Amino acid sequence: MNEYLIRKAIAADIPFLADVVIASEKGMSDRLSFTTLFNKSEEETKKLIIQMFEEEIDGCELSLSSFIVTEFEGKPVSGSGAWIECFHENMQSGILKSNLISYTFGKESIEYLKTKSHIVKDVLIDREPMTLQLEYFHIKDEHLGKGLDAALMERIEQNALAEYPELKKVQCQIFKNSVFSIKILLRHGFKIVGSYKSGNEEIFDYLPYNEKLLMEKILKTD
Amino acid sequence: MQKEEIVNRLTPVFRKVFADNSLVITEELSALDVENWDSLSHMLLISEVENEFAIKFKLKDLNKMANVGDMIAIISSKL
Repeated sequence: MNEYLIRKAIAADIPFLADVVIASEKGMSDRLSFTTLFNKSEEETKKLIIQMFEEEIDGCELSLSSFIVTEFEGKPVSGSGAWIECFHENMQSGILKSNLISYTFGKESIEYLKTKSHIVKDVLIDREPMTLQLEYFHIKDEHLGKGLDAALMERIEQNALAEYPELKKVQCQIFKNSVFSIKILLRHGFKIVGSYKSGNEEIFDYLPYNEKLLMEKILKTD
Repeated sequence: MQKEEIVNRLTPVFRKVFADNSLVITEELSALDVENWDSLSHMLLISEVENEFAIKFKLKDLNKMANVGDMIAIISSKL
């Protein structure tokens, strides 16, 4: 682990963070919701994700400030995104993300989304205010098995507690077919506390899976 | 455009997006008050409002909208 440096993400990391978002969103599938729900190619989507990060909005999954990066020999090899829900100006992260997408993706993409939104609504999960939301967690394959996941989890929690000492809970929303990620979370003290399933088989054309789990780790009790 | 006219034009938009013909919009109304006002419906709402008033919101406008009152003020400033 000594050869790895974990640090806050900076603007120069943005193209790498876009890759982290894409890899995490796909999970164990080839379905990327930014492309399937907005009728964009993956190449276009990456450019738009970069644009959204460059807006440097705080408090959501597309905030530069939400990410930490692991460096190895001067290059980023992992990225993790986490933020405290509603901590910044009491705005829900879902609204901040929606604003970014509405602004960046353009009218045609939102018009396309209108025709597909009914397919995915059953797997949308509200985020609990003042909890730490862990959304993206990606380590390059060649750096797996080196204890990075434990070091990253610890750093994410430490950073959040430094910002908000009263923090009690970490939550993560994850598709049920992301079995390796689920195992990692269970190993780090998370429990499955909810499940949201869509009965619409069409969802498999647009999202990685038809069921999303809500996982939770309690940091401290009252 | 007067605030009342903006509200009159916004009301059917909100009712359509949230599929609720009884929805009454007030200046204090926010995503916390409407059950199916989530990240998905928020994008649809923004698009419908932009279409209704033939405007385009800047990102800083969108992030200032904590409630419908803020939305009305921003719409008014663009007309």
